[in-house]
Amino acid sequence: MTNSVPELEDADCILITGSNTTSSHPLIASRIMKAKEKGAKVIVIDPRRTHIASLADIHVKQNLGSDVAWINGLMHIILKEGWQNQSFIDERTEGFEEVKKAVEGYTPEKVEEITGIPKETLREIAEIYAKSGASSIVYCMGITQHITGTDNVKSLANLAMLTGQIGRPSTGVNPLRGQNNVQGSTDMAAIPNKYPGYQDVTNEEIRKKFEKAWGGPLSPNVGLTVVEMINAIEEGKLKGLYILGENPLVSDPDSTHVEKALEDVEFLVVQDIFLTETAKKADVVLPGASFAEKDGTYTGTDRRFQKIRKAIEPLGEAKPDWEILCMVGKAMGSKGFDFPSPKEVFDELAELTPIYHGADYDRIEKEVIHWPCKDKDDPGSPYLHKDGFARGKGLFTPIEFKPPAELPDEEYPFQLTTGRLPFHYHTGTMTRVSPSLTHEVNEAYIELHPEDAKALDVKSGGRVRVSSRRGSIEVRVLVTTGINKGVAFIPFHFAEAAANRLTNAAALDPIAKIPEYKVCAIKIEKIDGREA
Amino acid sequence: MDKLKNHVKELLESGEIAGFLGLIDDGGHPVPYLFTKEHLDRLDAMVVPDFRYPMTDILLRIVRKYPEETIGVMVRGCDDRALVELAKNQRIFPELVRPVGIACTKEMAEACRCSQPYPREIHYGEKVEGVNDRSDLAAVESKPLDERLDYWMGQFSKCIKCYGCRNICSMCFCDQCTLEDETLIMTGQSPPEIPIFHLIRAFHMAGRCIDCGLCEEACPAHIPLRSLYRKVREDMADYFGYVTGMDESEKDPLEFLGSEGYEVPSKIDET
Amino acid sequence: MEYQTVRTTCTYCGTGCGVLLEVLDGEVVGTLPQKDHPINEGKLCIKGWSAHEFIYADGRLTKPLIRKDGKLVEASWEEAVGLVAKKLLELKEKHGPDSLGCFSSAKCTNEENYLLQKIFRAVIGTNNVDHCARL
Repeated sequence: MTNSVPELEDADCILITGSNTTSSHPLIASRIMKAKEKGAKVIVIDPRRTHIASLADIHVKQNLGSDVAWINGLMHIILKEGWQNQSFIDERTEGFEEVKKAVEGYTPEKVEEITGIPKETLREIAEIYAKSGASSIVYCMGITQHITGTDNVKSLANLAMLTGQIGRPSTGVNPLRGQNNVQGSTDMAAIPNKYPGYQDVTNEEIRKKFEKAWGGPLSPNVGLTVVEMINAIEEGKLKGLYILGENPLVSDPDSTHVEKALEDVEFLVVQDIFLTETAKKADVVLPGASFAEKDGTYTGTDRRFQKIRKAIEPLGEAKPDWEILCMVGKAMGSKGFDFPSPKEVFDELAELTPIYHGADYDRIEKEVIHWPCKDKDDPGSPYLHKDGFARGKGLFTPIEFKPPAELPDEEYPFQLTTGRLPFHYHTGTMTRVSPSLTHEVNEAYIELHPEDAKALDVKSGGRVRVSSRRGSIEVRVLVTTGINKGVAFIPFHFAEAAANRLTNAAALDPIAKIPEYKVCAIKIEKIDGREA
Repeated sequence: MDKLKNHVKELLESGEIAGFLGLIDDGGHPVPYLFTKEHLDRLDAMVVPDFRYPMTDILLRIVRKYPEETIGVMVRGCDDRALVELAKNQRIFPELVRPVGIACTKEMAEACRCSQPYPREIHYGEKVEGVNDRSDLAAVESKPLDERLDYWMGQFSKCIKCYGCRNICSMCFCDQCTLEDETLIMTGQSPPEIPIFHLIRAFHMAGRCIDCGLCEEACPAHIPLRSLYRKVREDMADYFGYVTGMDESEKDPLEFLGSEGYEVPSKIDET
Repeated sequence: MEYQTVRTTCTYCGTGCGVLLEVLDGEVVGTLPQKDHPINEGKLCIKGWSAHEFIYADGRLTKPLIRKDGKLVEASWEEAVGLVAKKLLELKEKHGPDSLGCFSSAKCTNEENYLLQKIFRAVIGTNNVDHCARL
C-alpha cells in the first residue's frame, strides 16, 4: 500500500475495485465503514455485489477483465471536464501527453460497450474521485489476477497521478495483501529477479555486495516463477523442488498439471505444519511450527513491521521453520546459517536491505514503523511518494484495453471468476480444521444469476458439474442477483471441489507472470438427483 | 498503585487466593495476566490502564479448569456487575472469587457513559458519580417507527458475523449458542440474516446485559450494539423493576415467567 | 496454575491485526483482540477470533517423514535433514544449480523467507526462488 491502513478512515472518497474487502480484509473494511460514517463516498467496481459493494454509495458490475477500459474511461472524462490536477502533473510526473492521447478514444459510449458500466455512472464516479479532497484507491487480486494485471495496476497509478490523489495522507494506490506476510516475503526476495529489498539480481554492483556478504558467487540470471518452475519440471529441466509452507496443488491454477509435475519431479521437499495435498507428494516432509510456536516478524500490507511471539513449544518434534532452514543450510556445508535466534537473522537481513536498514527488534517492539526506514533515526514512512516518486518523476504509461485470454464460446458459454469467503482462508489448510469456521461453511458452491439458473433448470442447493478445458468439478448452486447473467463465481478454498481445476494456468500476465484466475470460460451441467 | 500491589501480594502470600487475574505491562502494552505466588516479582509490572479487557470472561476459563481454587480478579464497576450475574447463574461461586476493585476515573466514566463506574468495594482510585446519559436511546426513539427500522437494518447490514459481540461478552457463557443454531440463523452468510441475528442476541441480553459496552468496542462494523442492549436493559427495569448486576439474591424475572407461584416483581400490570 | 496472554500478530490475512493468544498452563485456549493495537483497535474478524483453533488440530505434523518404498514413514531430524542436504547437493552437482528451485512462503516470517532464499541463492547458486504472491 502507498498509504497506511488507519489513514483510510480519513479519506473523502474510497474507490474499491477487485477487492471483496469485507470478506478478505475485514479489519480494513472496518476502516472503510468508519470513513463512510465520517462522510466519505465509497465506490465499488466489482463484478459481484459483495458485502462491501452492498454498503457502498455507488456499485457497478463491470464485465470480467474490462478494467483498463473503465479506468481509461474515467481519465477520458476527467480530462474532458478539466478535473485533472495540472500542477501535480506538471511538477511531479512525465509521460502525460502519451496517456492523454491514449485515453482519447475511450469515450463513455465506447467504455459502456466494453465494460457494461452506464456512462452516467462513470461520469459520476470520475467527478467524485477527481474532486474529493483525498481519494484513495483500494484494490486486490480482482485487479491483478488477469493477463492484463500489470496494465490494470499501471492504469490505476495513471488515474491517481492524473488527479494528484497520491503522495498525501489518505490518498494513494493501495493493494491489499492476501496473506499475512506476502509483503514481507516479497521484500525478502522470495521472487526470482531480486535480492532482499527489491535489489536487482542482474545488477553487478548489487550482486557483488551480496557475494561479499554471503561469501560466494551468485547467479547473474533471473530465475523462474512458481508457474514456470512447474512447467520446467515437465520439460525435464527442474529436478529438485523445496516447498515451504505452501500448497500449490490447491492454490495454483490448473491443479491437474501441478499434480503431475509434483509427482514427476525427482526430489521434492515440503516443509509445512500439516500433511497437505502437496506434502503427500513429497520425498521428505519437515514438520514446521505454527505462528504460536515461534518468534519472528511479519510485514503487514501497509509495510508495517510486526512481531510474532512464541506462546507455546512446537508440537511433538516439530521445530520453528527458521531453525529447520538453519539446519539445512549447515548440513549443506555453509557457514552462513549459525543464528541463535530470529533476532540475529533480522539484523543480517536489515543490514543488506536498505528499506529495512533502520529497523531492529528493539525498535519494532516499541514503535510502529512502516518501511522505507533507512536508518536508526528514520521514523519510517506511513505513506509513500510524499516529495517525489522512487524513480524521481512519476511515469504515466499509456495502456490499451485487451480482452481476457479465454472468452466464452458455444461449448463453454459461461465466464468463471474465483475468490475468498469471509470464513475461510486460501486452501483451507488451517481454516478447515477450525470448528468455528467449518460450522459456517465447509463446502464449495457456485453463484449463478437467476436467469442462468432457470435456463439450466437448477435451484439453490441443487448440484451441477462445472467444466472448463482443463478439468471438471461438482458443486452446489447458490442463486443470486449479486452477479451478472453469464458470469459464475466459485470460492477456491475447497480442495475436493477446487476452483483451480478449472482456471487457466496458461494465460499469464506477460510481466508479472500472474495467472488469469479471475476469468476463464466454463460450461455448467445439471446433475440430476439420482446421479448426485 | 503500591497499595494495590501490596494488597494483591498479601492475598497471594497468605494463600487466600491461588492467583490474581489482572493486567501486566508487556513492552508498553497492558495485557491480561494471572499473578501467582511463584512469581511475585511480576507484580512490579502490574498496571491499571484506561481501557478494558473482558476480565470476568477470562476468569471463567480459569475457573472452569480450577473449580475449587479461590481466584482474585481486578474488577471495575462493570466487571463487578458481571460477577453478580455470574454468581446468580451459577457460573462462579462468589466465595471462590475475590474481587479487587478499581474505581474508574471521571474521564473513563464519561467516555463509557457508565451509570455505576465503581465496584462494590474499592481498592484503587476515587469513586466518581455515575453518568446518566440516555441520549443515544433518545435519538433513536425520536425517529418514527419505519425510520427506526431502516436505521437498525442499515446498522445490522454492516455486520461481518465475527461473533465479537458474543465472544467478548462476560454474559455469553452458554455451552450452546443460539446464534449458531442453523435452524434459526442460516450459516455461512456475511452479513448474517438480519435483523434476526442481532435481535436474537438482543433478546438473550434481556436480564443478562450488565451494560459494559465491550461488545460495541469489539464491533468492526461500528454497530451501536450497546444502545440496543441498553434498551433491553431499560425495558427490564421498566416492566419488571429488575436491574442486572445489583444484587446477587435477586433473580432474573424471565427465568420464572410462567412458573406457578411466581409473582412478577413490579409494574408489568400497569403497562 | 499459569495464565498469560502472548501479544502477537494474526496469521491469516495481510492486514496484520494484533492478537493476544491466551495460554493456560502451556496450552493455547483462546484468542483476544489487542485493544491498543494501531490497526484493529480491539476488534477482529471471525478468522482472527478463531486463530488458535487449528493449532492442535488432528493432522499436525510432529515428526519428519521420509518416503521409503513409496510410503512416507517417520524419520529422525538428522536423517531427514541429512537426506535433504545430500540430494540437493547431488542434483546441483549433476544437473547444475538451475535444476533446483524453491517456493518460499507468504505464511512464514521475514527471517524464514530470508533464510530459504539464502540457501538457494548463496549455497545452491540459483535465482529459482518464488512464492505465491501472485496466487
